[in-house]
Amino acid sequence: MTRNKDRGKENPVAPTASQSAVTHLRLADSPEAGGPLDLGDLLLLVARGDEQAFAAIYDALGASVYGLARRVVRDPSRAEEISQEVFIQVWKSAARFDPARGNAKSWILTLAHRRAVDAVRHDQAATNRENKYDWSNGPDFDEVEETVTISLEHEQVRRCLDGLTELQREAVNLAYYKGFTYAEVAESLGANTATVKTRMRDGIVRLRDCMGVGA
Amino acid sequence: MTTDLHSLMAPYALNALDSWERETFEAHLEQCDDCRAELAGFVATAARLGEAAKQAPPAELRDRLLAAAATTPQERPVVTALAQRRGLRRTLPRLAMAAAFLVGTVGVGGYVAERNQADNYRADSQTITSVLAAADAKTSIKTFGGGGKVQLISSASKNSAVIVASDLPTLKNSKVYQVWLVKDDSPTSQGTFASSGAMIMKGLVGVDHVAITVEPKGGSRQPTTAPISTIAV
Repeated sequence: MTRNKDRGKENPVAPTASQSAVTHLRLADSPEAGGPLDLGDLLLLVARGDEQAFAAIYDALGASVYGLARRVVRDPSRAEEISQEVFIQVWKSAARFDPARGNAKSWILTLAHRRAVDAVRHDQAATNRENKYDWSNGPDFDEVEETVTISLEHEQVRRCLDGLTELQREAVNLAYYKGFTYAEVAESLGANTATVKTRMRDGIVRLRDCMGVGA
Repeated sequence: MTTDLHSLMAPYALNALDSWERETFEAHLEQCDDCRAELAGFVATAARLGEAAKQAPPAELRDRLLAAAATTPQERPVVTALAQRRGLRRTLPRLAMAAAFLVGTVGVGGYVAERNQADNYRADSQTITSVLAAADAKTSIKTFGGGGKVQLISSASKNSAVIVASDLPTLKNSKVYQVWLVKDDSPTSQGTFASSGAMIMKGLVGVDHVAITVEPKGGSRQPTTAPISTIAV
């Protein structure tokens, strides 16, 4: 009786003991803004050396990190190396995560993307040294576009990408999924660099609004 | 190609800048509150593109990571008050140091700009920092077909510009690249470099553009060849 009364104060709509217990659990487990799993809170725990929290972060983002690395570098074992480096970095540097600069998921995926892009550029530079005079070795742009569009799992992202103009979509795809610099994108598309930067900006603004991403 | 640093934000969020521009933009970011606010949304958008590529990793990766974590020491937290002190954070000094280092090394290798003596390096690096950090800093980048590039960062409010040349093709017969500030079609020499170099140029009022010519060793009083590159200021 006393228990029910106490719960009643927290949640006046809970009429019976069993229902109020469920409600109570959900309240305790769901921080206000985070949804079912708040990665920011988990990162705080990781920063204090909590290995279970680290495992939970891996379970939440392992597939995203690996899939992204795989998309950028292509090679499965290279993608695995990158994923491992990213999560070790998360483990080591969790204390340096600054929530004021963005959410935990963005932080981890940004780490992953940067590592993947650095790897693909490093590999490309090595290839260029080997084939200094073989310009035909450049990336095949048509093939890239097709792979990206077909294998996107996320329906919303695919739909939003479809909503871009062709040049916006190509600029975003080549930069994000292939690791091209905007100068390389301009070269591939036969556009000037100022135009490419503008298309990237227009594209990302449109994607942001289409996906309903808050700033 | 002249652009303000703000236009680098979308390429930065997509990680489509080369490392030099990335550092330049991050230096600017430290000074620009509006940029950081808008960037957060761009970065979150890019992260959604990353999530869309989701794919199951090999099962053994999880075990390997957990085992690695158990034996890997963690970094200590950064004390926020110190880390967030305005002004010179990590990126800016690193970039300025890189530029000052170029001035230094090129100086040893025959860099003959009159102003950039050894004891001026410290002052130079402070000027470089203030130009890079200026709210109105504009960056122009010229990439050359034969390799190498030249970046010009200019700030009207600081009345100064920094030019950084990297890995331009080595010239035959000891010829050098010479940099000129051109005002009303009248060029003033800023110094010479062999293949890489950085220099600070002060007094931009009325200057139309920066020109680079190929000149005999030691440089010329006036340009003797057509510019290989001109960059608007």
